Amino acid sequence: MTQEQDRGFSLEMPSVGIIKGVLAKDIEVVGDKVVNLRTCARPYRNIYSAAQLRTIKKISEEYGSGKVHLSPRHNLEIPEIKQKELDRALHELYIAGLFPGGAGTSVRNIFTCPDWCDRAIRPVQELGLMVSHNFGDRDMPNKVTISFAGCMNGCSRPENTDIGVVAIVEVGVDNRKCSDNCNLCIEACPFDAIKKNGTGVMITETCQYCGRCINVCRDDVLKATRTGFKVLIGGKEGSTVRYGSEYKRWVEDFEVLEIIDLVLRRYTELARLRPRSSRKKERLSEVIERMGFKSFIGE
Amino acid sequence: MDDIAGIIEGRIPERVTLRVRSLTPYTSEFTSEQIDLLADIAEKYGAGYVHVTPRQTVEIPHVERSYINEIVKRLHEMGLSPGSTDRYLRNVIACSRWCLFNAYPMTGIAEVLNREFADRKFPGKVDISLSGCDFSCVRSRTSDIGVIARADVEITDRKCKKCSLCIKEPLGCQVDAIEITDYGVEIDRQRCIRCGFCTNVCRPGSLVVRSRGFDIYLGGRGGLKPREATYAGSVNGEDQLIDAIKRILDIYMENAMEGERLSDLIERQGDAILEVCK
Repeated sequence: MTQEQDRGFSLEMPSVGIIKGVLAKDIEVVGDKVVNLRTCARPYRNIYSAAQLRTIKKISEEYGSGKVHLSPRHNLEIPEIKQKELDRALHELYIAGLFPGGAGTSVRNIFTCPDWCDRAIRPVQELGLMVSHNFGDRDMPNKVTISFAGCMNGCSRPENTDIGVVAIVEVGVDNRKCSDNCNLCIEACPFDAIKKNGTGVMITETCQYCGRCINVCRDDVLKATRTGFKVLIGGKEGSTVRYGSEYKRWVEDFEVLEIIDLVLRRYTELARLRPRSSRKKERLSEVIERMGFKSFIGE
Repeated sequence: MDDIAGIIEGRIPERVTLRVRSLTPYTSEFTSEQIDLLADIAEKYGAGYVHVTPRQTVEIPHVERSYINEIVKRLHEMGLSPGSTDRYLRNVIACSRWCLFNAYPMTGIAEVLNREFADRKFPGKVDISLSGCDFSCVRSRTSDIGVIARADVEITDRKCKKCSLCIKEPLGCQVDAIEITDYGVEIDRQRCIRCGFCTNVCRPGSLVVRSRGFDIYLGGRGGLKPREATYAGSVNGEDQLIDAIKRILDIYMENAMEGERLSDLIERQGDAILEVCK
């Protein structure tokens, strides 16, 4: 990426999203070489405008087989594009603000939940946009997945990605107002962190800052006192499941960018070849397991 | 109108988000006409854009509530349907048919399950993910019911010609389980993830697939209390897999309390539920 910046702006398209493919196994194989095109939307990685959808329709009809696969990371995959027509297809993608990407050893499509979800503690789409501008499709030793979640429900699976950012909320208690013993908050808490305290309630140490209790409280006893993000690094999913370790809690938007930059730089420095392998490098979770979490973050 | 699945309340009053799944002809793929219809609906009734969700559905945000019946009618005409919310069976996701590492194309099974159970309501949310190989891009190991296809590779008597296609980039073994020695080819069974891809590139036929099957994992979940799924058993053949999934769903229907997910049921009742796959 840095080399390209030195050469100045170029209109060349990234080639990572072009996946060498075979024809679907239930379709008769024809002689032409085919590729699958994995497309990423810009500016927001999770949002496709009506015009972009029409472009995808046109490409899949003209150059592909009239099908579009939805990948689990906001990509739309257009399968079975003939190799010799690839350039024309890429040209049309480019005009519509779509790019091939999200494959190979790079920063994969930034995974965010939508802004309009009313469960979100903090909207994360804008933050995802900043991260995809700065780090999107950057070349890395192995694949790096970055996910943003606006609440702890984590539809975008932040605990199982290399770098996961989750919005959290701190709950404050105003006991003077708690009039009825509705106990709704105690039932709603998934971590059993709310205990009775005289006529009111108190929040114990097991609180994980999900904010479920705020939504059910009828008397304004429980209120959000501050919101922020927590950053988890080193999770993975696939052949083995590993949950990310908490790197920092209560960080603000720009700090998230700094942390991601730091983690990606440390990872690029420290990644080695996998044991017994001559071509594959470690993923972030393997580096952290080899070095230990503390020495990875440089403490 | 309230009993239509797939409607999500938003931040703006009288504007809702519509979650759309495909039921025919494909469920993990959309045809180009369906994509075109989604673009039309987003432009005419919504805000002009759609969100692609992690479970192979498309969300159309900011749709005015009074138009929903009209939209649903248009969606049904094209084989699309609102759904995959709340306690209805969430969209069964499968990895793409054309991926090189597929041990088995899973989209067909997903289509059968989706059509059969699309409108069935469960005590809690049920995620079913079908993955064609061990890498499980669709997150089989953190879904309520996860399936991973397996292909057992066998070394035959045919002599290895040492072309080394099975160990070289880009089509070679992804986990470096194959070694070429003086006597022929050897597989490290500890490392092998049984995707069966090496048999596609082996020209002399030293490596062949002996049998294909499916591993079933139960009780995974993400979110607030993430949990890794437990291996429950293996089945051979598509019909047996669909049968096994139906049995699991029936047991879950009978035994789970309101709001419990499969992982909660396994934690409450012990591993007995895992026996159904065996």
